Amino acid sequence: MGNGFLARGRWWPAVTISIALAAISFYLLLVLSNWFYLGLADTVYFFSQPRMWQRFWLTVWTSTISMSLSLVIGIPAGYALSRFSFPCRNLFASIVDLPIVVSPAVIGAFLFGITTRFPFDLISEHYNIYIGRNVYGVLLVQFTVTCAFCARLMKASFDMIPPKFELVSRSLGASNFRTFFKVVLPMAKNGILASMIVVWARAAAEWEGLMLFVGASEGETDIMPFAIYLDWNGGMMGWVTSMTIVCILMAVTAMAAMRLIGGKSSVW
Amino acid sequence: MMQKISVLLGILILCAPITALSGDQKALLFHAGVGQRSSLNEIKAVWEERHPDQKVNFSYKGSGYFIADITRSRQGDLFMPGEEFYLLQAKERGFVENYNPETDIPAYFVTVIITPKGNPANITKIEDFARPGVRVGLGNPKSCAVGIWHEKTFKKAGIWEQVQKNAVLSAKCIPELGNAAQHRAIDATIVWSTTAVLYLRDVEIIPIEHQYRGIIRLPVATLKFARFSEEAEQLKAFILSPEARRIFHKHAYSVDPRIPVDEQSFCLDGTTDRDMGHLVNAARAVKDESFPVTAETVGDLIDEVERQRKTLRAGT
Amino acid sequence: MSGEECSRGPSAKAASPGKKAASDRLLFKTFFYSFAGFLFLFSAYLFLSNFDQLLVTEAAVKTRELTTWGEDREILNLFAGGFWKDPYFWKSLNLTLMITILTTILASLVGIPTAYALSRYRIPGKTVIEVLFSSMLVIPASSVGLCLIVMFNYGPFWHLQEKLGFRFAHSIFPGMIIASFVLSFALGLSAWKATFDSVNPRFEQVARSLGSSRWRAFRTVTLPMAKSGLAAGIILAWTRAMAEFGAVLFFCGTFRELPPARFSNLERALHIDQADWLSVAIWAQVEYGNVEYGFALAYILVLIGGISVYAMHRIGAKGYIW
Repeated sequence: MGNGFLARGRWWPAVTISIALAAISFYLLLVLSNWFYLGLADTVYFFSQPRMWQRFWLTVWTSTISMSLSLVIGIPAGYALSRFSFPCRNLFASIVDLPIVVSPAVIGAFLFGITTRFPFDLISEHYNIYIGRNVYGVLLVQFTVTCAFCARLMKASFDMIPPKFELVSRSLGASNFRTFFKVVLPMAKNGILASMIVVWARAAAEWEGLMLFVGASEGETDIMPFAIYLDWNGGMMGWVTSMTIVCILMAVTAMAAMRLIGGKSSVW
Repeated sequence: MMQKISVLLGILILCAPITALSGDQKALLFHAGVGQRSSLNEIKAVWEERHPDQKVNFSYKGSGYFIADITRSRQGDLFMPGEEFYLLQAKERGFVENYNPETDIPAYFVTVIITPKGNPANITKIEDFARPGVRVGLGNPKSCAVGIWHEKTFKKAGIWEQVQKNAVLSAKCIPELGNAAQHRAIDATIVWSTTAVLYLRDVEIIPIEHQYRGIIRLPVATLKFARFSEEAEQLKAFILSPEARRIFHKHAYSVDPRIPVDEQSFCLDGTTDRDMGHLVNAARAVKDESFPVTAETVGDLIDEVERQRKTLRAGT
Repeated sequence: MSGEECSRGPSAKAASPGKKAASDRLLFKTFFYSFAGFLFLFSAYLFLSNFDQLLVTEAAVKTRELTTWGEDREILNLFAGGFWKDPYFWKSLNLTLMITILTTILASLVGIPTAYALSRYRIPGKTVIEVLFSSMLVIPASSVGLCLIVMFNYGPFWHLQEKLGFRFAHSIFPGMIIASFVLSFALGLSAWKATFDSVNPRFEQVARSLGSSRWRAFRTVTLPMAKSGLAAGIILAWTRAMAEFGAVLFFCGTFRELPPARFSNLERALHIDQADWLSVAIWAQVEYGNVEYGFALAYILVLIGGISVYAMHRIGAKGYIW
């Protein structure tokens, strides 16, 4: 200790590791405090309620649909962002990224602004539904925040594949599309699967947009994160904490599954 | 083969929302204050059971947001804000199809004092709010009706200046005050009885003496641009029926249409004393398992007490 | 940048063979561009088409008349409600910038050593820790806010606050920093860790074998190599802190209507009293019916977010997952 400890810089690993442990314990406490608050008996009670599972499945299917929509747009868009170069590419990419970097509450306000206008008012007239007051509003919010996110993740997955494989494939006479579907996509498969899970989890975590944009119908639009806010306003702490636990479990499971597939959440 | 299956699955998933569109249910859009959520959801369940061709979509928001929303979107069939003020303003703008202030009041809010469990600051009456060091939660009068009532009540008691000095929280909506009391962020506040009843286990409820006890009218009206005006009228009639009033009463609203009030809507006599007594007993009953829960002690609040007794943390 | 390198190869190739390949290439590019273009147009439409919300229309004036409670609801200007004349806006901007900068400093002071430790040293249960931190990025902000409330208002932290005599929840100084720290730290950590992972530990080992201490090896070898990545992570953490909404709303609430006496002298000296977190202010203004004011604040946030994301693209940020 003392002199040698300081002089040889041993303090540095000790400091970094203790800071890391402090941060980890803060986050663990943050995540686990719900269980301590709720207690075992209540956890069992709330998890056995049908309302909980009905909301869970609502969250699952809405985020699955918005994830598939985002994938349809995101895979080609991510490929274009990764492989092609064009003037003002950074500016272009920044604007594409805007919906994910600004506060989601802003997205809610902006969606609230556009849904009474041109393309949306026609749809709502034709189908005699109020866009933004039902589950389509939920899908629209989720799609808005996830499609750019998806393109971003796809770009990262495609960036990891060296372009020389495409070159080889094309020089052997394969067409561009054939190359994309037979060479690039299979190589990016793991990355796409991993990104898919992250996009799904991100869609399932969206609620701020819903708050300004979609009203709440019991069992219709109250996907879990939104229901947390609504029940918080209804004073139902039991529901709120138990749904928070479900949300945390969903996020942790999704991230663990992604890691299992071999995606790296942090390195791109 | 795998590809074909995945393509088919993809198409199915994409088509799921479109198939859901084809149902020809009449979907009513109901703008309602977020405070009425629990009782209106119960009414909705009854209504949809009787009218399977109809569906009630709620848009629960804070009272202040409705006018902005309706002005811009011009959508909605029914309107039930948390205070008559908002409805009168909407009526002035011509959004309201028909509203009769005499008859269209299904229920009333009553103001009560709530404090965290154990009443740490020992609050027993309105004047205690002025004591230095009491952490008071106030509503923001611009965004929620309870804020106006705080100002009105404390001004009537002549302690508004001191209470303002004690304020530590400015709530945007009334549940925020209830949550703050539940989580011990404030020592005392005034809320509606319907908000207080949500936190029976975690707060103490103290009735206010008659002269400061506010009675707030909760109106309902149909809107001019209703897509299904006939159905909206029917639903409004149902909300005004004794059956729906009973549902409101179960959630600690006062439903007696003959509560005498002065021109400031403060209560004049003991018409609401019975409801207040039930509320206080309900709060005791949830905390104390041995307290008898009968129609005699807690009145219509039995269901609420039973539900909150079931769990340590409140749920439905 | 890697994207440009990638695209140079294929286009050079496409020039050499005959016409068929060129048209195939064109079709190919058009197909992919159209999707990227859709995203671009969607985003641009979302943000530009709302520009007229800034103008005070007849409807907005009517709304205002309806929900007027006091004399301070007057419209200061027909464009965006004249938000620049309102001290509330400047105070809120001040508050948000100040708190986010403090949060970012705190997050980097804690996060860079943490990222380094996670990247270099053998810590048991590393996978679990990484899953925990990365899952913070997809946990809804409402849950985060709620976890904070439950954590600080019950249990050991509550007793600590009882002893200290002040509360973390519903306060500006510790409260807002804690609320914006949680997610900003998690996001910054992912970027910093990615950066340290991409720096080969060999260099550090060589420096140490030549006699430099561990700290010196970190400071003179790894840190300069990781500089741009760390900077990108700091921008990322700051942007995330700016975009924070749910946690602040749940944990801190709004402050505008509180009496001046509620704020400490320091808060008044810094001009952050009676002000709100910017994204919470947007929500509050739209809910009050001040839609054009809320949209003006929203455009400010969009501008700030756009600039920082552009900076990140220029730096070529890694570990960029929202």
